Amino acid sequence: MTDRAGEYQNKPTELLSMPKRLERGVDSVDRVLAGGSNVTLDFTGCDFVTVDGLEWLEEILLRSESLKTRVTFVNLNPQLYKVFKVAHIDSLQKACGAPGTASGPVC
Amino acid sequence: MTTSTKEQDLGLSERVNSLVRRARLAAAVFTQYTQEEVDRIVKAMTIAAIEAVEDLAIAAHEETKMGLIEDKVLKNFVASEFHYHQIKDKKTVGIIRHFPEDNMVEIAEPMGVILALSPVTNPTSTVIFKSIAAAKTRNTIIFSPHLMAADSSNKTARILYEAGVSAGAPKGFISWVEKSPRLRRETELMMVHPEVDLIFATGGTQMVKAAYSSGKPALGVGAGNTPVYITSTASPPSAAMDVVISKTFDNGTECPSEQTLIIDSQIADALLAQFKRMNCYICNQEEVEKVAAVVIDPRTNGMNYKLVGQSADTIARAAGIDVPRYTKIILCPLEGDLRYHKLSVEKLMPVLGYVIVDSVDEGINRALDINFAGGTGHTAGIFSEDDSVIERFATAINAGRIIVNSPTSIGGLGGVYNNLNTTLSFGCGTGGGNITTDNVGIKNLLNYKRVPKRTNFTLTFQTTKNIYINPGSLDHLRSLKTKSCFVLTSRSAAKRGHLAQVTERLPADCRVQVFSDIGVEPDWACVQKAIAAMHQSQPDTVIALGGGSVLDAAKIMRLFYDYPELKMQELSVKFLDFRHRMVEFPQKVHTQLVAIPTTSGTGSEVTPFAVQMDNENHRKLSLVDECLLPNIAIIDANLTKSLPKEITVDTAFDALTHALESLVSTFASDYTDGLALESMRLIFEALPETLKAPGNIVWRHKLHNASCLAGMAIGNASVGVNHALAHSVGAIFKVPHGRANGVFLLSTLAYNAKIPRKFMPVSAYQVWIADEKYARAAKFLGLSPAYDHDRNGSPASTGETREAMIRALLRAVYDLALNAGQPLCLAELGISREAFDQALPQLVRTAAGDMSARTNPSLPLIDDITELMIRAYGPRSRP
Repeated sequence: MTDRAGEYQNKPTELLSMPKRLERGVDSVDRVLAGGSNVTLDFTGCDFVTVDGLEWLEEILLRSESLKTRVTFVNLNPQLYKVFKVAHIDSLQKACGAPGTASGPVC
Repeated sequence: MTTSTKEQDLGLSERVNSLVRRARLAAAVFTQYTQEEVDRIVKAMTIAAIEAVEDLAIAAHEETKMGLIEDKVLKNFVASEFHYHQIKDKKTVGIIRHFPEDNMVEIAEPMGVILALSPVTNPTSTVIFKSIAAAKTRNTIIFSPHLMAADSSNKTARILYEAGVSAGAPKGFISWVEKSPRLRRETELMMVHPEVDLIFATGGTQMVKAAYSSGKPALGVGAGNTPVYITSTASPPSAAMDVVISKTFDNGTECPSEQTLIIDSQIADALLAQFKRMNCYICNQEEVEKVAAVVIDPRTNGMNYKLVGQSADTIARAAGIDVPRYTKIILCPLEGDLRYHKLSVEKLMPVLGYVIVDSVDEGINRALDINFAGGTGHTAGIFSEDDSVIERFATAINAGRIIVNSPTSIGGLGGVYNNLNTTLSFGCGTGGGNITTDNVGIKNLLNYKRVPKRTNFTLTFQTTKNIYINPGSLDHLRSLKTKSCFVLTSRSAAKRGHLAQVTERLPADCRVQVFSDIGVEPDWACVQKAIAAMHQSQPDTVIALGGGSVLDAAKIMRLFYDYPELKMQELSVKFLDFRHRMVEFPQKVHTQLVAIPTTSGTGSEVTPFAVQMDNENHRKLSLVDECLLPNIAIIDANLTKSLPKEITVDTAFDALTHALESLVSTFASDYTDGLALESMRLIFEALPETLKAPGNIVWRHKLHNASCLAGMAIGNASVGVNHALAHSVGAIFKVPHGRANGVFLLSTLAYNAKIPRKFMPVSAYQVWIADEKYARAAKFLGLSPAYDHDRNGSPASTGETREAMIRALLRAVYDLALNAGQPLCLAELGISREAFDQALPQLVRTAAGDMSARTNPSLPLIDDITELMIRAYGPRSRP
């Protein structure tokens, strides 16, 4: 764990804003991630996410894991945060800063 | 290439996970949808379903070979058009209901992922119905169809899904298990999948049982066996037509359809003639045996599933009986004991049993026989014009829907013949092993979040209407409106001349009777004796002359004199909250009560309380109600001039306790605070002076007023834990009430001034401020931190801190008691340590159960009460 944290710390972090409706993947995020940077996704202006949007978020989290970078989510409104909660996807929870494993059912 | 069962299971497990995951993500996304978005989706789905009603009916019929296409079309319409009509304006997102009178709203929360089992009998209509209901409630739904109807079910699901997604529904919000030999296994895996939130099972008993056994919340249906009672007041042509419509509907596949008719003998011939006219076939007994032989499966004694939904002609052919072509229903007279007849069970086909009865009682009983032969909780029907018979039938029968004067099958679906909720899923309550008897629908697919806002009850202020307050006010008696007066008093009042002072002032034409046998703590026997005397005397006015015991007893006597039917045991039932108490007191008392206190302590002349000794159980019973308030109070200090010092001090400490406890009570208000503060100021001022000059009417007057003011305060704010402790000690050791109060005062002041171990849960008491109020009292009494000095005058603390002011109050109470000779501990009351230790458990138990503590600012725990009792035993030092 400590080693991984060290890997993240040595990489630059870019802050990227999410669109108002997250309906599909966001190319700029994919590009930054591919470049090996850590990414902080700012959900300040985002108030809706679709199933495709959720799946893309899960996918970039998987990608960042293999790239040894870190993706974090910030500034989620309660409606969006609840979507992540109800989705029961562990990686989304972690990206929001939640502890390792969810206590409830997980997809 | 072959695969092992394990490999197949792995593949299955992956399929299940994939299906459920899609549904889970869609459920999460669905939480964001507004009511308008949801309604748009539901509308689009309904239109798509309506456009496909014929195609889907044909598909279902072709696949299942059950029922009739025309009726399946109608069912599809019911599941779409009728269903939509009922739910289109219903709110299912956000706040869905307001309860203004309860200060509460209800907010809808989706249930999440629903696994829906659909039946072979109504495959397409059930899928239409459940899909629309799920969308309306923002749930996602996975259909697990019956293997014999999987193609038509899934075709339906796909049509509704595509329409929903086109209208903006989340991807994956409807999904389905594809037809395969392992469909059942796949369903079993889903039933226990952690991501499935609810199982909505409509289908055969085994399937529903499996759903209930999964450990998931489940909405199931029960088996039906519908009895229909056709009473003598029914119209035979109309009843026969309705039964024919119903029992032939989709060839009888609807589970609410008629299974056995119970026919009143008066109309039996006419009704059977109508059935014949409508091309129904009535079997003879030999034919009944033949029908039973094919309709009933001998292995299960239930219906033969191969004949479910088949036409009457087909069934007759199978039974080997000749019936006219296009026979609608095969009617079988069920002879012998109905409970043992093979055909008394559910038959989802156009085969209908019937019995003829001679009375309503027999009719209802035979209907119960059918109802309890595998159909409890489901459906029943009655044809009658007599509302009383309908009510008797409906009361006796255990069914979620009791259909009146209409077809039970289409009637049960709701919306066509009545205003029942439209459904394809019939809840059967506990009779059918279900949680609801509803026509299951959107109402059952939501979690309801109740949001009650704090309700603060209305505080009132009540007291005795007319209070005469100056020395000499006894003269008011001269103008008292009374023709017959009953004076309740004690022997000591007579000895002290008070009684004479009262009687000589009463109007000359007033008939007066005196009862002077009220002792120190009168019990029920004493009360009864006085009431008996009152009944003989028939007074219009009761005058209570004496101390608190006399006044309290008089309140009870007046009440029972006016209302002899009341029961003391009921009136004294304890309560947690005055507004919710179970006891009801009379609204009005007729006999006038004049209260004339001769001591300055209880304030009973202005309170709605009456305490009475229960000698049998060593406890005091408390009555509380507005109707106990006297009509007139006369506060004439002349009557207290000759009061002995000991009683003067005891009663003054009682009044002081009232003031201090009402001040910090959870029911305290600005009104009671003013009274309490002024009362304690008067006591601190007047008691020492009264003790110096007992005959001084000015100080006696102040003390008398203090008692009355404190009485008004407790009459509205009540008392606290000090009274609970005092009641307990008083009852067990026969200690005068005021003195018992005094010994606990220092302990309870200190106890209530600390942050409670447990706060008292009272809606109107929003902030704990007991310490602040004690400090305010100290300030009002003119105490200052300077009073917070030890006896040598050195400052114990600096600054006007709250703690210093509270200590100043404690010291003032201590000093007042010391100067007045008031005992401040139980040992000073002559109670031995041994007797105290022995009585301690009972003392604590009695105090803990005393209602007085309910308004204390902190909730006294049993440990607290024990400690307060123990601390009150030994001698006290100056705080």
